[in-house]
Amino acid sequence: MATTTATLTLTSTDLLSDSLSLSSTQTLYKDGTTTGLEQYESGRVVVPGDDTNYILIDSTAAGNDKHAFIYVANKNTSEGHYVIIAMNDTVIGRLYAGDWMFMPWSQTDVSADIEVKAPSEANTIEYALFHEGKTFVAA
Amino acid sequence: MATTTAAITITSTDISDNSIAISNTATLTKAGSTTGLDKTSGLRRRTLAAETSVDLIQLDHFQETGEVLTGNTAAKLYIKNVSSHTDEHVKVCIGQEDANADTEEIGRLFGGDWMFIPYAAVWTSADHATNQDVYVIPSSTDSVTLEWMIIYE
Repeated sequence: MATTTATLTLTSTDLLSDSLSLSSTQTLYKDGTTTGLEQYESGRVVVPGDDTNYILIDSTAAGNDKHAFIYVANKNTSEGHYVIIAMNDTVIGRLYAGDWMFMPWSQTDVSADIEVKAPSEANTIEYALFHEGKTFVAA
Repeated sequence: MATTTAAITITSTDISDNSIAISNTATLTKAGSTTGLDKTSGLRRRTLAAETSVDLIQLDHFQETGEVLTGNTAAKLYIKNVSSHTDEHVKVCIGQEDANADTEEIGRLFGGDWMFIPYAAVWTSADHATNQDVYVIPSSTDSVTLEWMIIYE
C-alpha cells in the first residue's frame, strides 16, 4: 500500500479580528479502511473558452462507490478567468485563476464525471486523481 | 480588504516509482478581482448521530440573517470530519432539499478527511427545494462531528 498525505493550511491575519490559522492533514485511504490509495493519475490540460461542458475526469464503473480524491488547480493568472467545475451537471463552483480545490469523489454512478467549462477564455488546468478503481476501455 | 491564503501539500514517496509532491497556495479573492474575500461563516462545529440527511449549509438561513452569500461567485467551502472512525463516513451532497432525489453526492468524508472546494451557493428562494444547499448523510448512528467554514463575498 502507498502512503499519501494531503495537508491544508488556511491562514489570515485580518479576515477576523483574531488571526485565522487552520491546519489539517489526512492520509488518503481506500473506502472504509486504513489501507492507502495506490492508484494515481494526473495531467495538465487547456480547457477551450467555448462555454462547453467537458469531462475532465471520467467516472467509471470500477470506481463507483469507492473512495477517491481529486485535486484541481486553475493555472491561469488573469483574475477574471475561471472555469465552472460540475459533477453530473450539478455545479460545484467556479475555480478562478490561481485557485485550487481538493475533495473526495465517490463516483456514485458512471454519470458522476468531473466536468469543466470555461465560459469565455481558455484556462490551463492541472489535476490529480487518487483512487482505487478504474474500468479500462478496450482498444 | 482581507488577505486569506489556502495552501495545499500532497505528498507520497511510494504511490509511484518517483515521489510526488504537489503544492499550491491560493489567495482567496472576490470573483474577477484581486480584492480579498472579506466575509466568513466562521468555523462551525456540528455533531450528528443519525443516518438521516441534514441540511448542513442552509443558504436560506444566511439570507434570513442578512449574511447573504452571492451565488456563482468565488465562495470557498471547507468541511472536515473530525471523527477518528476511518470505517464510517459522511456523504456530502450539493443540491436541493430531498437529498435522496435531487442532490448530487460529491464524495464521502471518512474520519479525518477534509475537503476544500469552490462553492456556487445559489440561493433562489425561501423554499429549500430550489437552493444549492449542502447536505450531509452519516453512514452510522455513531456520533460524528463535522467542522465547516465558508469564506465568501
